[in-house]
Amino acid sequence: MNGGLGLRVTLGLCLAGFVALAAFILAHAIDDHEQARYARDLRRLQTLDSGLNEAVLKARSGLLTQYDPLVAALRELHRLRGALRKAPAFLPPRSADELAAALDAYDKTLTRKDELIEAFKSENSVVQTSLLYFPVIATSLIDRAHAKGDRGGFSERIRTLSAALMLFETVAEEDAKARVLRAQEELRSALDTATALELERDTLVAIAHARVIVERKPPVDGLVREVLSVPSFAAAARVEERYTALYHGALARAVAQKQLLFALALGVIVLGLTEVILFMRRSALALGRAKDELSLAHDALAVEHEKERLRGELRNRFITMTSHEFRTPLTAIVSSAELLESFGERWDAEHRLDHVQRIKKAAGTMERMLEDVLTIGRAEAGVLRPSPSPIRLDEFCRALVETLEHSTNRSHSFRYTFLGDPDVTMDERLLQHVLGNLLGNAVKYSPLGSEIRFAVRTTADLCLFSVHDQGLGIPSAEIPTLFTSFSRASNAQHLPGTGLGLAVVKRALDVQQGTITVESELGRGTAFHVSIPRRLQNVETTLTPS
Amino acid sequence: MALLVGATIAACRGPAAAPEPRESEPFRTTTGQPLEPLPLSEPVDAPRASLGEALFKEPLLSGDGKVACSDCHSEKHALADERAKSEAAGRPYSPVNSPTMYNVRYLFKLAWGARFDTLEAHNDALMTNPNVMASSWDGAARRLAAKGGYGERFQRVFSDGLTPMNVRAALLEYERSLVTPNAPFDRYLRGDANAISERAKLGYGLFKAYGCASCHQGMAVGGNMVQRVGIMRDYFADRGKVTPPDWGRFNVTHLEKDRFVFRVPSLRNVALTAPYFHDGTAETLESAVRAMARYQLGRELEPEDVALLADFLRTLTGEYRGKAP
Repeated sequence: MNGGLGLRVTLGLCLAGFVALAAFILAHAIDDHEQARYARDLRRLQTLDSGLNEAVLKARSGLLTQYDPLVAALRELHRLRGALRKAPAFLPPRSADELAAALDAYDKTLTRKDELIEAFKSENSVVQTSLLYFPVIATSLIDRAHAKGDRGGFSERIRTLSAALMLFETVAEEDAKARVLRAQEELRSALDTATALELERDTLVAIAHARVIVERKPPVDGLVREVLSVPSFAAAARVEERYTALYHGALARAVAQKQLLFALALGVIVLGLTEVILFMRRSALALGRAKDELSLAHDALAVEHEKERLRGELRNRFITMTSHEFRTPLTAIVSSAELLESFGERWDAEHRLDHVQRIKKAAGTMERMLEDVLTIGRAEAGVLRPSPSPIRLDEFCRALVETLEHSTNRSHSFRYTFLGDPDVTMDERLLQHVLGNLLGNAVKYSPLGSEIRFAVRTTADLCLFSVHDQGLGIPSAEIPTLFTSFSRASNAQHLPGTGLGLAVVKRALDVQQGTITVESELGRGTAFHVSIPRRLQNVETTLTPS
Repeated sequence: MALLVGATIAACRGPAAAPEPRESEPFRTTTGQPLEPLPLSEPVDAPRASLGEALFKEPLLSGDGKVACSDCHSEKHALADERAKSEAAGRPYSPVNSPTMYNVRYLFKLAWGARFDTLEAHNDALMTNPNVMASSWDGAARRLAAKGGYGERFQRVFSDGLTPMNVRAALLEYERSLVTPNAPFDRYLRGDANAISERAKLGYGLFKAYGCASCHQGMAVGGNMVQRVGIMRDYFADRGKVTPPDWGRFNVTHLEKDRFVFRVPSLRNVALTAPYFHDGTAETLESAVRAMARYQLGRELEPEDVALLADFLRTLTGEYRGKAP
């Protein structure tokens, strides 16, 4: 049972481990949607960042004439930044902190970029306005100067300034700037001419716009360079790199956890199946035992049933026997009694005595039969017990023989011998049963006049009795059932008898720890040898019902 | 056993492809022009917006129950204020002109100094500003429940009924629903050559050539950047009497480069929202155009150019619920 307990504890631990791990895995499961969304947001961050750089360059060159795309991209970047702050749930706190640190670094670059782009938008608008407007007003001035009769001096200065600005716009170097400033001064020195031509106000506007271009274009270019140099793309890429590493770490952990989970599940299944198999085996064993017990009980029941059957048979035989064997002496008693009643007074004394003798004889027969039946009954009920007393065995046996000779009118010749010490301690009544029956049978089953030998001998411990007759003999096949109640030898059915005699003998011997053996030859005679302990102890425990 | 297997499978589900949501395309412009048409519609939660509209006109929102949003953003005046500086019961004059609420959802930042990044932040600040609403969302919700009988209306719109955050949400939804698409100029940009007059088309040409569109650009025709007032000439020196509200974004950042810097206002529905500028000094469209040309672009415009530009600007009046705002 110890092994079974250990198995169950292991199974319980496996199951608890499985449940705990499964719960942990479910709680920290990599949500594919969350992971996909996070990874997509990170990529989007980089896409928007590079798109933003491109848009700034386009806005600077005039290819993009409005800032809505910049505004929308920045707005989305800020939204993404907020969304990315919420680290995927499957990342452990330390990983989330690492990610947050990377995002902090990115945030700084985004804030910087945002500021630079705002400044760029304002400044670029101013410069773009002037870049757009200067050619317009320059052309207008040249046209109007020509119309008013300028011979080339004034318009030439405008053209020189235009060319200088064009060069400056392309290569914003110091000598280009100096050239613009020179052209500007020359135009300013020609203001008198402009006044004469009534172009003073627009000339001043042109100069102002030229100044805007010269003074504010380099800062705009500087802002563009700064915007492009903000390492926001690299920072966004680092966030993604960091996240990818953390994600792969989480994946590896998840795989390990899953393998452990599978192992635990396997353990639970194997141990569970083992437990089930063991349980089934135990059940089978118990079932086998139960079947054995049932079969034993069945056998016992069959034995009881057989005993019951035998008892029933015994009763039947008893009833048959009594109805037959008791009727014979009863009929004799009844008929003699009726005769005596009817004719007693007329009969002579001898005749009357004869019938009284008949009645006495039949009553004696019935008494013996009852005695036998009671003895058997007592033996069956387990209450037949010897009550030994000291007797003189030789005298007891001689009296027995003499009584028998007398009652049979010396129909057989008895040869009685006795050897040894006659003082014994035995149950007289039981001994009377044993020897009376054996000697009576010898008389009954042997021809008239034949010899019956009755030899008694005592040794230190035993009394040995032998009864030899020269009678019918017993068929050898029937010897095993010889001592059973109501069984009678097949060759003795024609003779009256209850079939109780030898059964009484056997039971009377059993309770005295005596034994009996039989030798017989059909037609030649039978010999019974009986042995009984010489000093019978009056001990209750020696009782054994048959 | 089945449970065991199910749990194992559930815990070990393989990766599944997540659907790619549609991404916005911020870098695409539809016209290639500095100006873009407004979207023809925006998704709006109509019951919420309707409740928000009632709140917009509801004085119980203010701490003393005397001032509604609509007092300074009047429906009669395209949700702007016809007064140069707004005035509301028991409060000092507003330091700046109240701009229109239409199309606020398209503005990149809120307030003249571009102080707020979102409409939420702007509303939160106005609610608690002692010179404006002098209130709080909590207080407003309490007053609406106690005196306004709003409980049931909120119950119909919000599952959790009348709460401070739902007051805020309803108001926001209304403000976001204030869009004026389908202006004649938008129809022109979308290809209807006859949607605006020839003079307006000439005006649009000047608008681009003179550099107005350098700042008043994008779909809101402004509202997507900040700019200094007085690039080519000193606006404030000419006007005189400079007060802190004139410092503009400087009041937000305290950076010298931001002094006199303001959010470029949207010119959508500009014909309806006089007076103009943060100080409300330009009473007509023409005077505003002239001032802008002088101070921002450094030139004096001929009256004909001003008239053409004004004609163009009048085509920016859109439709709110199918009618002029």
